Amino acid sequence: MPVTSIFIQTLIGGIGIGSLYALVALGYSLVYRSMGLVNFANGDIYMAGTYFGIIWYNGMVRGLHLPYPVAFVIGVLLNAVLGIIIERIFRPLQKLDMMFMLLGTIGLGYVLDNVFTIIFGATGFAVNSPLPDTPIILFGIRVLPQMLLLISVSALLMVGLQVFLAKTKTGKAMRASAMDHDVAGAMGISVNRMNAIAFAIGSGLGAAAGILAAPIVYVSPTMGAAVGLKGFAAAILGGLGSIPGAIVGGLVFGVLEAVSAGFISSNWTQAIAFVVLLVVLMIRPSGIVGEITVEKV
Amino acid sequence: MKKKMNITQGVLLGVAACALLVFPFVAQNSYEVHIINQAGIYILISIGLNLAMGYAGQFNLAVGPLWGVGAYTAAILNTKFGFPFWVNLPAAIILTGLIGAFVGLPSLKVRSHYLAIVTIGLGVAINIALLNGGSLTQGAMGIPHIQMPDFFGYPINSDQRYYYLILVMVILGFFIARQILAGRIGRSFRAIRDDYMAAKAMGVNTAYYQVLAFVVSAAYAGAAGALFAHLNTYISPDIFDFPATLFVLTLTMVGGMGSLVGSLVGGVALPILQEYLRVIQNWQLVAYGVAIMVVVIFMPGGVIELTRRLSGWRKNRLALVDRDASG
Repeated sequence: MPVTSIFIQTLIGGIGIGSLYALVALGYSLVYRSMGLVNFANGDIYMAGTYFGIIWYNGMVRGLHLPYPVAFVIGVLLNAVLGIIIERIFRPLQKLDMMFMLLGTIGLGYVLDNVFTIIFGATGFAVNSPLPDTPIILFGIRVLPQMLLLISVSALLMVGLQVFLAKTKTGKAMRASAMDHDVAGAMGISVNRMNAIAFAIGSGLGAAAGILAAPIVYVSPTMGAAVGLKGFAAAILGGLGSIPGAIVGGLVFGVLEAVSAGFISSNWTQAIAFVVLLVVLMIRPSGIVGEITVEKV
Repeated sequence: MKKKMNITQGVLLGVAACALLVFPFVAQNSYEVHIINQAGIYILISIGLNLAMGYAGQFNLAVGPLWGVGAYTAAILNTKFGFPFWVNLPAAIILTGLIGAFVGLPSLKVRSHYLAIVTIGLGVAINIALLNGGSLTQGAMGIPHIQMPDFFGYPINSDQRYYYLILVMVILGFFIARQILAGRIGRSFRAIRDDYMAAKAMGVNTAYYQVLAFVVSAAYAGAAGALFAHLNTYISPDIFDFPATLFVLTLTMVGGMGSLVGSLVGGVALPILQEYLRVIQNWQLVAYGVAIMVVVIFMPGGVIELTRRLSGWRKNRLALVDRDASG
């Protein structure tokens, strides 16, 4: 196999896993720009969403085997409701220092992790893809159908989010509320409701990412820890709070990981990804897309 | 301002000192002593973290992996070269301090959540280095057969004996931290934490003190690492990962960030709480998570702040009663 097709294959794998990071990163950025909260439980919310969807598809609820798209929608909606509940719990945190957000949200992460462990057991399971398991071969490049599904649906969701924020009344209200709480409040926008919507969308996207990736990765109550950390790193890489930044950051992080795993060493993948993040932040402290402000210097 | 110790405080201190000294003899079994030994190790890391985060305002979320650097330094020096604990301890402190300086360099450029993720990332990198260090760190298998220390021919070979070593180290660590905070370094730390720009304008060498905060916290983690390695005689990389950082961060915040006594309170309370929560088995970690959220949302200053507030409230009540009586 020629080097170029190996490279392209690695790249597609990277974009696939990068879409996953991007969706999780969007969860961080949406909540951060809306209420200034860095939600470290986001990885666990992603895990919860994966379970909320997969249990319907996998026969874990009374042996039900609902079709994959139906399970997908149920999972996303249930996780959105979870997001709204969590927003209510975290409301007092938004005025506190970064340290307290870190710890408070991590506390919630502990709770989610362990409740899911108690209900579904600590051991994970593999999920069958609704699509064929044999890779599609195009120009000598082998790609799993599920990977293509992950990439295309993620792209659709990201475009959908952009359109929602730019065109709809609620989206505009959310942007106004993120820009200035007081003025938005004076204009008759309910800031708390906008925060709740941001949390719901962020959690829903996390569930979407998890349910799409479930047939590729392994589903377990601890699956959120690594993805949560990398999603956060991706959001920071792109510029925390920026929607395009989260998408760019996620894709860059995924590709970086895949390329370093494929061409350097899979043992050092994470280390390489974080060192690149460090270098980028040294050169551009506010991330690739983020605005430069005085506060962060 | 120097406060004179009154009689009650003196008596309390004396009672506390006696309790600490006789603890290994009254403990039910050596497992209880072991828990307290671990608590002492956590207290040391927590004091370091408190100096960096609570006093200098610098996020060092790599303390767990830095603790590992200290432990591995001691373990490698002991098992590969046969050096005793008393050589390994300062070696671990120095090497971990140096790596801490490296972890602290990004603080000159980024802050807040950006610094948090950078230090977390560097911690991950350190942990991966421990895991992939080849024959030196022995990978995921870890390093077994680390010797327990020896005090001038007297072997410190049980949890009971090790307890006194850790007690001395914690007391030493606590008073060194107080000395650091009382002097020029402590003033500079607080100035940087409270107002970075103002500190800079007043001529504080902010870059130097920021990196120093990381070095100090790393040095404490290094000392704790050497103690840990020689106590448990076996170490592996998974002990020193991000959850270790989180545990120390949690106990520091539960005790009170920005208070050295808080580190003592949290460091003793959390490991014990964890032991007691074992009774409810699976729900242990759920209860633990809920406890963290309650502390953060309802008493962000930690237990120490709560006691301060309570005593303040009592004084106010007394003042009120006095006024009523005189009026």
